[in-house]
Amino acid sequence: MNIKNIFSINLKWIRAFLLLFVSFTYIDLEAAEEAPCKDYGECDEFKHSLKDMSSLQSGASTFLTYCYGCHSLEYSRWNRIANDLQIPEEIFFDNLVFDPSIKPGDLMAGSMSKEESAKWFGVAPPDLTLVTRLHGSDWVYTYLRTFYEDSSKQYGVNNLVYPGAAMPNVLAALQGNQQLACKQVPVIAKNGGEKRDNSGNPITKEKCGFLSIEEGTGSLNQEEFDELIYDLTNFLTYVGDPDKVERERIGWYVVFFFIIFTTLSSLLHREYQKDYH
Amino acid sequence: MSDNVTKVFNWVNHRLPIQNTYERHLSKHPVPKKVNFWYLFGALAAVVLIIQIVSGIWLIMLYTPGEAAFSSIEYMMRDVDYGWAIRYMHTTGASMFFAVVYLHMFRGLLYGSYQKPKELVWIFGCTIYLAMMAEGFLGYVLPYGQMSYWGAQVIISLFGALPYIGESLELWIRGDYYISDITVNRFFALHVVALPLVLIALVFLHLIALHEVGAGNPEGVDIEAYTDEDGVPLDSVPFFPYKVLNALVGIGVFMTVFAIIMFFFPEGGGYFIEYANYEEANPLVTPAHIAPVWYYSPYYSILRAVPDKLGGFAAMGAAVAIFFVVPWLDRSKVASIRYKGILSKIALVMFGMSFLTLGYLGTVSVTEHRKTMGIICTFIYFSYFLLMPVYTSIEKTKPVPDRL
Repeated sequence: MNIKNIFSINLKWIRAFLLLFVSFTYIDLEAAEEAPCKDYGECDEFKHSLKDMSSLQSGASTFLTYCYGCHSLEYSRWNRIANDLQIPEEIFFDNLVFDPSIKPGDLMAGSMSKEESAKWFGVAPPDLTLVTRLHGSDWVYTYLRTFYEDSSKQYGVNNLVYPGAAMPNVLAALQGNQQLACKQVPVIAKNGGEKRDNSGNPITKEKCGFLSIEEGTGSLNQEEFDELIYDLTNFLTYVGDPDKVERERIGWYVVFFFIIFTTLSSLLHREYQKDYH
Repeated sequence: MSDNVTKVFNWVNHRLPIQNTYERHLSKHPVPKKVNFWYLFGALAAVVLIIQIVSGIWLIMLYTPGEAAFSSIEYMMRDVDYGWAIRYMHTTGASMFFAVVYLHMFRGLLYGSYQKPKELVWIFGCTIYLAMMAEGFLGYVLPYGQMSYWGAQVIISLFGALPYIGESLELWIRGDYYISDITVNRFFALHVVALPLVLIALVFLHLIALHEVGAGNPEGVDIEAYTDEDGVPLDSVPFFPYKVLNALVGIGVFMTVFAIIMFFFPEGGGYFIEYANYEEANPLVTPAHIAPVWYYSPYYSILRAVPDKLGGFAAMGAAVAIFFVVPWLDRSKVASIRYKGILSKIALVMFGMSFLTLGYLGTVSVTEHRKTMGIICTFIYFSYFLLMPVYTSIEKTKPVPDRL
């Protein structure tokens, strides 16, 4: 193999090619895509921690208490979750499973019939097994925290990430009443600095669309609520891809194997190459 | 004991050309002694084909076509031990298959691997690519997610744009008035039986034709010109063990990359498995943005670059079909880009650039600016082929050495 040769003949061209290609795509950056979290803009970043059992357990508990009434996890099984989250089955079934007819190996098919709920709500609440894979965990984490009061809507709330969402803010009692508020923000000059008046005070303008929580209306403070949503999203991330931790653990061994394989075959190849070089 | 083994071997060998075939295609098959990494992608494509066939067989054991398709995938991903490994092997394999085949084809253009007497090798190769595109499309429909459904909707409706026969052809392909479990069932049959048989037969022909005319090299030197008294080219080495060992190193590197994707990034950032496909097909809800998987996106861009549906379909077809006639478009006296003139080099760079840009454009939504870029790149794409007879015959080439 003569890798040096191939690069030397075309290096000039490869460089020219890359330059042109980059400038081509750079021009294209002007055309901005719609923000992934709609009216909220960029979604808040969510970093999962799938080995944190207490976070996953608390997320499972929140899900089964607040969400499972309407949303199913129809591809997931009860005892799989108990086992993966290291919750002893007895404790799990005594405290988190409210229907005594459920068997440990059953699918979590939801507690409402899809046909009935479609009649009640206009649209059946979607299954959430794959929600973090469909929209991403960032999206789910942001969505659950951006409900705001909007009396024009059926359930009195709207959502910044999913405008017109046909879902009440189930967690309002925990979060408190969240509203869209306006506040004074500094005016930014063309050079990037804050504009100031003659006496040196910053010039401000009113900007709206900020979320603000009416104090004392929720049973959790903002930090505690964010943590609750973090755990819930973490749990949904696990449900979306329950083998991720195991897969990555095995992956290291497989990659390691192929690196050794490549090294050994490369040494052998080099030895044999001496026959004709 | 060993005497008896020899006897049995001889008995079989007199009735079946084992030794002959082994020597002709493996142990004594001469290959150029000096090639570069571009010459590994054919072997890698063979490796991926085997991965796809083996993982595919296991997938068939677990998959249910028709209405239960989507849930059967989730069932194998969750309830079957290592079901995720089998499925991610297959999805990663699909993307890697196209990746190595695109690099393999680019190698062909780079070093003139289609020139006389390798025209048939090239044509079988192009047919393999065509069969792969069909195979990939059919396979993409099987999980029956939103993108499976709407992607199929877009592609099948293209046939409806054909004059006279369009509508009935569309109906005939679907087997129903809309995409239904009937469609999924027949796509399943074609994906797991019909097209793999075609692919294997074509790969066989590709290899037999290749072994008849001999493998090329980056210098474009005809190694058959200088042979020893037994007729073995002087600049060659036997396929086994030299070429096999060479390939083994490439396979090692490739499998490392494959494993990293399969175990750590199976979705490939939404390019290998599209996120929208995590929602079951819903004929009543059209996704906001329908994008093909990355390996079709250059052709999807060409389709979109032409305003007329039939025209776009024709342009897309022509973009693939034009590969078949490359051996007759290239009028150059030399095969390798190393000895071709400046025009060929510029043309190839422009082609590569337009192909990648079209690929990018096919994955994003259309804006005015992107539409213009798509048209420009489509124009460059076709110019590369259509102007080839001109620029390859007027440019000044460098002399090719006699020996490798």
